[in-house]
Amino acid sequence: MSAIVKPLIVFLGLMCLWQAAVSVFEIAPFILPGPIAVIEVAIARADTIAEHAGTTLVEILLGLAFGTLLGSASALMMAYFRQARSWLLPVLVVSQAIPVFALAPVLVLWFGYGIAPKVAMATLIIYFPVTAAFYDGLRRTEPGWIDLAQTMGASKAAILRQIRIPAALPAFASGLRVAAAVAPIGAVVGEWVGSSAGLGYYMLLMNGRVQTAAMFAALFILAIMAVAIYFAIDATLRRLVAWQPEADPATFS
Amino acid sequence: MKRLLFVLSLMFIASPAAAADKLTVMLDWFINPDHGPLYVALERGEFERRGLDVELIPPADPNDPPKLVAAGRADLAISYQPQLHLQVAAGLPLMRVGTLVATPLSSLVVLADSPIKSIADLKGRKVGFSVGGFEDALLGAMLDKHGLRLDDVELINVNFSLSPSLMSGQVDAVIGAYRNFELNQMDLEGRPGRAFYLEEEGVPAYDELIVVAKRENASDPRISGFIDALEAATQYMVNHPDAAWELFIKGRKDLDDELNRRAWRDTLPRFALRPAALDSGRYQAFAEFLKRRGMIESIPPVESYAVEGR
Repeated sequence: MSAIVKPLIVFLGLMCLWQAAVSVFEIAPFILPGPIAVIEVAIARADTIAEHAGTTLVEILLGLAFGTLLGSASALMMAYFRQARSWLLPVLVVSQAIPVFALAPVLVLWFGYGIAPKVAMATLIIYFPVTAAFYDGLRRTEPGWIDLAQTMGASKAAILRQIRIPAALPAFASGLRVAAAVAPIGAVVGEWVGSSAGLGYYMLLMNGRVQTAAMFAALFILAIMAVAIYFAIDATLRRLVAWQPEADPATFS
Repeated sequence: MKRLLFVLSLMFIASPAAAADKLTVMLDWFINPDHGPLYVALERGEFERRGLDVELIPPADPNDPPKLVAAGRADLAISYQPQLHLQVAAGLPLMRVGTLVATPLSSLVVLADSPIKSIADLKGRKVGFSVGGFEDALLGAMLDKHGLRLDDVELINVNFSLSPSLMSGQVDAVIGAYRNFELNQMDLEGRPGRAFYLEEEGVPAYDELIVVAKRENASDPRISGFIDALEAATQYMVNHPDAAWELFIKGRKDLDDELNRRAWRDTLPRFALRPAALDSGRYQAFAEFLKRRGMIESIPPVESYAVEGR
């Protein structure tokens, strides 16, 4: 029960603070509209915003799917092939170091203005967290378990499938959580650089028309979507890795 | 003794020669020949002569300058007349106090060898636009005149990549490309373009670049000094176009390239020869046009958002 009530109270509290700030400081509505104005617009334009939200959601989910696949594959290659490691590691670091905003126009020029560059951006942005986390997990398998498996005559493939990968899952899950949190950024940045639909596109359009409340409404929906995706993935991961012992420092005495 | 000398030297550095009035002016875009009169005025000391210490600032986001002026963070902004109507309708306390470029510059551009020979040929094509705002009103009016509707074309926000998206063939046409800048840019890249001029295709003529101030500051004497300086500079540009170019690029060597030179030549006839003068009829007509296209709901009296510059 408190899992829902506490966040709700925090959310309502923030809304009240927001409204108070706007009223007390007399902030102009074209700079920061109050929450009530934003909610009004969100309801009035629910169908338009929902349509754009759908587009962005597809981009995020596709980006997550591709990024996870690519990341897992890279991590497995790096763990098993020394050559792959020395070639892929610099690529991995560079993919993280380059600000995505700088890459976005190039991606658009290559992929056009459809859904491809947005999915590419989201994939790129989560490639590093997923790969790094999974690779780390694969490397840190308890050596005692490997020794045991080898003495029992397990093949390399069997060790991978039965021991390394399950043991790496908790680390992989951490990487996926980070990915879930940043994938929306990739999708929206992709939309800013060139698009005809999506929440990022809608925010830009409303900004240009000085309809700040509508821009914030889209931002709101984007935030809610991002949080929902994060919690959905978190819940799925916790179920997948249910066997992992949890020693919460707060409760463990 | 040393300490005394040190303090004395500090006093000399700190004392101002004559307290000039500071004025922050936000540009609409990165520095380009459209801003000729501003930089010519700066270099010729026109602002100084009128007791103004003007700072010209290119924006990070082209949508920001009018909002910053409305919020009191900048004194003046170079903005667009069509945007002014939308901003005033959204409640921004802005006032037009001068005109920089007195003709539309925005146009619909296609590649020179494009099969699009008239606006009617846009049916089913992709049209790129930038910044966002009123491009669908402009495009809608042009399509209307040729019996088409907005959903007969696909509008794609290409942000700053107007020329690249057109040249790479990812869109069939772009709206919002400037006839003095993007056309020359494409020509220099070897992929020349062809323009359809908005004011010839059903859109009422408007001032592309105007000077806006916060409504309550509109009668500030600094502003009339600024517009006065602008007029002096525009006069000089018309009388001495080559010397004026040298002043424009003075200390800004990165602007000295073929593109800017050509844009300079093409923009010269378009500067407002009387920056302070206001054509109320023009603003009223454009407001009525925007209302007809459903971009604004009501038309406030022109004097509430536009005044003469001095």
